[in-house]
Amino acid sequence: MDCVIELKNVTYSYPLTTVPAIKDLSVKIEKGKFYGVIGENGSGKTTFCALLRGFAPSFYKGDLSGEVLVEGRSTLEYGPGELASKIGFVFQNPFTQISGVKDTVFEEVAYGLENFGVPVDEIEKRVVEVMKLTDIESLAEKNPFDLSGGQMQRVALASVLVIEPEILVIDEPTSQLDPEGTESVFKIISKLKEKKKTVILVEHKIDLIAEYADEVLVFKDGSLVAAGDKQEILSDMSLLEKGVALPQVAILGNTLKEEGVPLKYIPVTEKQAEEVFSELITGKE
Amino acid sequence: MEKTYTEKIQIHKKNKLAGLYPSVKALVVLLYAICCFILSTVKLTEYELALLLIPWFLVIPVLCAASGAFNKCLKAFRAVSIVALVIFLAQSLLIPGGETVLKLGFLKVREQGLRTAITLSFMVMDIAGIFVWMFQTTENKEFSRALENSGMNYKATYVFISTLQMIEILGKNSKTIMNAQRARGVETEGNVIVRMKAFFPSLVPLVLGAVISSEERVLTLEARGFDVACEKTHLFNLEKSGIEKQVTFIAVLITIVLLVWRIYLWIA
Repeated sequence: MDCVIELKNVTYSYPLTTVPAIKDLSVKIEKGKFYGVIGENGSGKTTFCALLRGFAPSFYKGDLSGEVLVEGRSTLEYGPGELASKIGFVFQNPFTQISGVKDTVFEEVAYGLENFGVPVDEIEKRVVEVMKLTDIESLAEKNPFDLSGGQMQRVALASVLVIEPEILVIDEPTSQLDPEGTESVFKIISKLKEKKKTVILVEHKIDLIAEYADEVLVFKDGSLVAAGDKQEILSDMSLLEKGVALPQVAILGNTLKEEGVPLKYIPVTEKQAEEVFSELITGKE
Repeated sequence: MEKTYTEKIQIHKKNKLAGLYPSVKALVVLLYAICCFILSTVKLTEYELALLLIPWFLVIPVLCAASGAFNKCLKAFRAVSIVALVIFLAQSLLIPGGETVLKLGFLKVREQGLRTAITLSFMVMDIAGIFVWMFQTTENKEFSRALENSGMNYKATYVFISTLQMIEILGKNSKTIMNAQRARGVETEGNVIVRMKAFFPSLVPLVLGAVISSEERVLTLEARGFDVACEKTHLFNLEKSGIEKQVTFIAVLITIVLLVWRIYLWIA
């Protein structure tokens, strides 16, 4: 598969700090794959996202060694705003993602396209499409600041998706949302997966990562401690010692296996668990 | 046929005064303020009071009513009046100098105090009042578009408009913080001292929150191509009401007449 982002021996420290937030990180992000990024608080997940998008060091400053390459070009070589069309970025706080200068959700979503100088007719078409995708058409004429957290986060996602970036970096989009808001955001994320977008999602809700991700990156103290296929990573009990929460079904599967129960494989999602346990009970494949 | 969203966001005002182009409104505001200064130099009565500032204020409610925004402006007028009243009382009672004009127990209103109080409080009423008219009859996106059309840098326009929007948002946030502090047992109602004590626990989270969120907002803007160097598209188009020239002419004429009259008074 094509590599769209590559980090080569990246070490990064924020200004006025002595301990690097990211240490000697080398990783390749492949086109069309869905990456789940997990780890404890302060493990470097958000800094990793900021490096991918070029916010670090261009905005945060600080010291960077190594290289972050987006489509083969260093992020340091990209001009102002150039990366915005390639990499979409969604933050965790829905409130701060509202521009503050638009009166309606329609205008808010269209703001990015106005900045890119897209013709008016095309803006209307693209915004309507993305509002349907993110299920916010009914909110189109509302003031963005009058929305709930979940609705705001969907508007934020729509505002990024409308630019049609091939890569999306989504940093804990549901951390401030209720279960209903979380579900609505993940419905959109699942549509992105169907569209074969490259998605890098930081999320603490491990069951959601297990359901959507193709690959999982595990961070601890600024280092990448595990990376690979989600099935392999999320069923690895040694990660519990590294402060990573594993799916409940994976812990149950591992415990049963240790007790000698012949499981076909360690399930990491509810659906897999259903399949594995029903096979175990009925004896049928 | 149903309107498109782009059509829906356009502003079509029936009232021609309310629909004046924002830069013409700004010119009216500027000339009105200049007239205030001219009128403040005309001293009447034996105490040399700038009394013409009082009838000059009447222009504002008339303008608001003619713009169909009188009720909208009323709340802001009340707030302005309170500020002006405080200024009037403080100035008239505290500034010494000249004969005693009025005696209320141990409080004395002196000539100089009355003079400053009338000038300052009505200047505040007049100038704040005309701004109330402008802001109540113009939406933020009209300002934004007019500023960009006038050649103002889009970054500066963003700062100006987001500041206007943020005043309302910070107001809402402060109420949320006050409620949260009240839930934690902080007394927020009562006399001035109690309110002062509640002020800091509310203000600090409000200001810090605003500072922290501004960083993320900068990155959000960057993620939406704010910095892209290209010709920006505008979905919203500003309309002219058609009486801009006439209003400009009348405003300039009134200012010139007042100025000439004032110069004549000096000479005569």
